[in-house]
Parts: sequence; C-alpha cells; structure tokens
Amino acid sequence: MKWRLLVLQIATPILAIVFGVVIASIIVLAIGRNPLDVFGVLLRFGLLRADSLLSILFKATPLIFAGLAVALSFRAALWNIGVEGQYYIGAFCAAYVGFGIKGLPVAVHLPLAVLAAGLGGMLWALVPILLKLRRGAHEVITTIMMNYIAAAVILYLIADVFRDPSQIGTPRVRTPEFPGSARVPSMGPLLGLLGLTGPDANKVNWLLIFGLVLCVLFTVLLSRTRFGYEVRAVAFNPQAAEAAGIPNARIQFLMFMLSGGVAGLAGLSDVLGFFGYLDIDFPKGLGFLGISIALLAKNNPLGVVLAALLFGFLDRGALGVQFFARVPKEVIVILQALIILAIVVAYELVTRYIRMQRKREAERPATAPAAAAEAGH
Amino acid sequence: MRGMRGVGVLALAMVVVLAITACQQRAQQPAQQAKKFKVGIVYDVGGRGDLSFNDMAFAGLEQAQREFGDRIETRDLEPTAGGENREELLRLLAGENYDLIFGIGFLFTDSISRVAKEFPNVKFGLIDGFVPDLTDASNIVCLLFNEHEGSFLVGAAAALKSRTGVIGFVGGMKIPLIEKFEAGYIAGARYVKPSIRVLSDYAGTTGEAFRDPVKGKELALAQYDRRADIIYHASGGTGIGVFEAAVVKKRLAIGVDADQSLTVKDDQRPQILTSMMKRVDVSVFETIKAFVDGQYKGGYKNFGLAEGGVGYAENDYNKDMIADIKDRLEDLKQKIVAGEIKVPASKAELDTFLKSLPK
Repeated sequence: MKWRLLVLQIATPILAIVFGVVIASIIVLAIGRNPLDVFGVLLRFGLLRADSLLSILFKATPLIFAGLAVALSFRAALWNIGVEGQYYIGAFCAAYVGFGIKGLPVAVHLPLAVLAAGLGGMLWALVPILLKLRRGAHEVITTIMMNYIAAAVILYLIADVFRDPSQIGTPRVRTPEFPGSARVPSMGPLLGLLGLTGPDANKVNWLLIFGLVLCVLFTVLLSRTRFGYEVRAVAFNPQAAEAAGIPNARIQFLMFMLSGGVAGLAGLSDVLGFFGYLDIDFPKGLGFLGISIALLAKNNPLGVVLAALLFGFLDRGALGVQFFARVPKEVIVILQALIILAIVVAYELVTRYIRMQRKREAERPATAPAAAAEAGH
Repeated sequence: MRGMRGVGVLALAMVVVLAITACQQRAQQPAQQAKKFKVGIVYDVGGRGDLSFNDMAFAGLEQAQREFGDRIETRDLEPTAGGENREELLRLLAGENYDLIFGIGFLFTDSISRVAKEFPNVKFGLIDGFVPDLTDASNIVCLLFNEHEGSFLVGAAAALKSRTGVIGFVGGMKIPLIEKFEAGYIAGARYVKPSIRVLSDYAGTTGEAFRDPVKGKELALAQYDRRADIIYHASGGTGIGVFEAAVVKKRLAIGVDADQSLTVKDDQRPQILTSMMKRVDVSVFETIKAFVDGQYKGGYKNFGLAEGGVGYAENDYNKDMIADIKDRLEDLKQKIVAGEIKVPASKAELDTFLKSLPK
C-alpha cells in the first residue's frame, strides 16, 4: 500500500499531463483533426529544436518573476491580483533610470535600474496592503483597481511626458532608448560556448539566472527559516499565530512588499533585456499569467520555475501547431487553457486521493508508526 | 479509488481511438511539386475577421494566389492577442525558407528590421511602417499610404452632404497615423465648405482603441447629439459601434480601409455614405506581383490617389447617395493628383492649410 502511494505521488504530474492531453484531444477530434499529429508537432517543434528550447527559456524568464510574485503573496494568504500593475510601474521605473541617467558604468547603472523596478513594484503594492491592514479593504478589489491606474499612468508617462522626441511624426510611442549600461547582458556568448548561436540564443538574458536564484532563495527563506515558519503560521491560522506572539500584520506586510518587489521585476526581461526602450505596446498580461503559474506550482517557488517553463513550452509549441499542423489560432488558445486547467484539476484529485489514503492508514492502529513517517511536499 | 480507475480506463480508451484514427489518416500528404515561391503574411493584432485592415491584406494575398496559383504558395499567420509573438512568427516563416514575408501594421517596424538583418536573402514587405535609410537593394519595402488624400475626399463628401453644418470624426488610437486621417478629413471638409464644423474624438490611447465598439458607439451617439449628421471613423473594429449609432440615430457614417458597405450588417448599409478605401490589398498584391516578376525593390512605396492606393468607395448601395456630388469629388481628386491641392498629413500641416484657404 505504501509503495503504491509513493509511486502514485511520483507519477502525479505525469498523470495530470496525460489527463490534460486527453481532454485537449477531444477538442482536436471535434474540429476534425488528428490529435496525434497535433501533439506530435507540439512535441517535435517545442522540444526537439534548439531555437524552440531557447525561445522557451526567453518566454519563461518574465513568467518566473510574475509567478513567484503571486506565489509569495498567496503563501501569506494574501491575494495579490495586482502583479500586472506592479510590473508596469516597475518597468517604467527601470526605464526611467535607464534613459534618464547617462555615463554610469554597467556595474552601477544596471543594478540601479533593477532596484528601481523592485521599488516601483513595492510602491504600487504599498497602497493596497496599507488599505487592507489599516482599513480592512479587501486586497483583491484594491489591487485590481491599482492595475487600471497603473495602465493609465504609464500610458500618460510614455505618451505625453517621456516620449522619445526622435519618434514624433511616426506612429511609434515609446521612451528614448537606454544606453548599453542599462541593458541586461545576453546569455548568447555563454550559450555560444555550448554550440547554441543565433538570434534565439541572444534573446536569453541573465535575468533568467537571477530569477532562478530568487526562487531558490525564497525556497530557503520560506522553508528553512523562522520567518518562513511565521509565514506558514499566519497563513494557516492568523488568530492562533497572533495568540502565539507572531505579529500577523507585520508578516503580511513584509510578504506583500516582497511580492510587489518581485512583481516589479517581471517586465525587465523584455524592457532591459530585449527592447531597450519602453513602448506602449510592450508585453502585457504577465501578471495574470503569474496567477495561473502560482496556482499550478502550488505556490512553491521551485514549482514556479517548472510551471513557467511549461507555459513557455505551450506558447512556443502553439506556434508550431499553428504553422505546421495548420490548426487555427483560436483553437490553440483553447487547447493551452484546457491543458493547464486539466493539469490543475488532475493534480488536485490525485493529491487529495493520496492524502485520504494516508489518513486512512494513519487511523489504522496496527500500522500507525509506519504511516507517520511522512515525506511532505 | 473507483473514480481514479474510471479515469484511467477512459484515458486508455481515448489513446486507442486516437491511435486508430492516426493510422487511417497517415500518408495523405500532397506530393511536392516544382519549386514555388513561398509568400507569408503575419497579421496585426485583431487578426482575420476585422472586416478592414487585416482582411484587406488577406484579399491581396488571395488575389495573388488566384493569379499566380501555380507559381506561389501562401501562408497567413495570426499573432497572439497582444501581438507579442509577431517577431517569432516572422522568424519562423523566414526559417522555413519563405521568400517574401509581409508584416501588416506599423507595430512590425522593429521586428521586421531585426528579422530582415538575420535573413538577408528573404524579402519583406511592411505595411504602414517606416524603417529609415532603406535603398533599392534593401530587403525591406515599406508600403505607405496617403490616407490623408483619401480622407480629404470623404471629408469633402461629408461637408457637401451635411444638412446641419456639423460633421464628426471618430479615431481609434490617438497616434500620428490616425491624426493623418483626421487632418485630411478636416481639410477636405473645410476646403469645400469653409463654414463647416468638425467634431473630433478618439476612442483611446492603446491598441484596445481599435477594437472597442462600445466606446465607438458612445462617442458617435454623443457627436450625433451635438448635431453632427455624418461621422467618419478611422478606428478599425471600434467603427462597428459608429455604424450602430448611425442606425439608432438614422444619420450617416463613413467607413474606412475596406469598402465597408459590403461587409456590414444589412440594416447598417443604408447609413453608410461611402468608405475611405485604403487598398492594403493592392499594395500586397503589387508587391507579390513585382516579386514573382523578379522586379522586387526595397525602399519605400507610396500608395496615394494617383496610384489607386486610396480613394472613396462607390458601390450598388451608395451609388444614388453620392450621385449628386460625384463630379465634385472627381474634380477634387484630379486636383490632388495634379498637385494643385496639397493635402495636409498632420495636425501642424492642417493649421497652415486652413490659414491658406480663402476666407
């Protein structure tokens, strides 16, 4: 019995993906296409081409920050739906430092821009968390409202205040370009040593590594430190935590600020790593993708990395499916959403099943000691 | 327990079914023929079905496919909703040995510049975008339209047809490109009727402003309430709302990009005076034609009234409506083509133009 559960637990993600594929296959069959062809293209194109793998890394980079930001707030039982707005503001702050300051060496300019982004995100998270802790306004409402404000504010700033004068008379609405000292270096040279060259290799930048490091740091912080223990206590039962002497409000405030700070970095891969200017057409919607990623990762920072890679893969694979399997774009969007949804549902079902079986075993008096040795996740 | 097993059985059954269908459908690939030119299009945000800009590009592609059927192979791709992957789509087409690739819309400007550098042997066509310093030998051709000239004519039409002395303009995103439409429209209206009043509104400052029919209707209703009796929209999908407002108020509207009388709903047709045609299809077709004939040239190509790249629409539905002003419009058109009228292309040029008009 115990072995079976262990195997099931290891197989859970695979089962979840199989379930997702089955559901998606029904849709593909419904539009009269062969699911094996479609999934064959998805896998071959998405995983067997060097440019696809590099593209997945590039796509995953901002998603890691966005997912981590959402996960951090969820870990403290706070619903930060405002990652979207926080990264707009963060991206603008980084851009402002980028084009506003000249003549600094990279070693100063770039960290300054990244810091500005983090502070910008925190600033935008400050209002909702203060409103919550001081006035009891629910953060879901306030963060959503802050998203709208952020969108309007950066439009105003880019289009009316800081528009690149050299672009006037063209339809392009964007800030001036940043000097090289404010650009995140590409990982292209390093990847070149591995034999990976070309435009897709050059797109991958060092923020990817920075994001991975952040995820590891937060894993340690949340599972190996006293602060992490306090966060768990507050999330699990605020009243009990307060009674045990854990300052509820302070923990929630700190976690929300961390969430906002990480959120501020989500736009940097595109703004500092790729474009080198902030355009009104810069990639949007990362904050909402971050919510899906955090949910898929069960708020585990390392899980966020995997979930972000999965999203990157689905996004890249969709390109191949549209191109080689000639499936309409709308169907692909439905497939992407279904696969993610199915994975979440299947994962939840299997996890619950395992938990139920464990509990049953634990309740069985004779085998109680064996079942007590729980692996935890 | 039982539930899990049920899912497992279902999954297994699905896999078997899939495997069987897969075996049946194999080996139906068409045989590869002689080398064809491969032509690809990547649409702007909004994609197919916008009844104007993107659909016009497709029409051009289709026409080329009909005309050069055996010599070209075509592909059209839509980017994601926000358009983030447009560059990837371009690169994918180029990587798959497409010979000529179009980017529909100025948002492709930077992407095409980058991809064109990576694939010097692939030719590109960029609609509405401007890449500086191109020459005949470049592998990018910027296909630009004199929208202001076409807008001038529909502005004149609106002013001549207006009974209230007030006409309207609803723009999509407030950017210089759309202000070009507005400048031409106002200039045309004031040129034929100096006393005319023109109301102007924009739906917004983001790409959303091109697909917000609710906002379009709201703006149009407000303008009709302020006595405007004809409204010209240059707002993509937002304009559908302008047409709805025209039906509600029983007033007139002017379409844009495509001949919109042909594509709107039946009840909206009688409300459409004419459309400012921006012949994206012509530019796409002409570029493909030049390419197939070995005449492709990089640089800039302008499509104005003289080249038939812009104009006003005449069709079975509006023929009678514009019959009485048609001579006047044709006369204006000749003057523009001959260079007697220099139509302003920006708000600044419009000011100078209006000052030059006899009081």
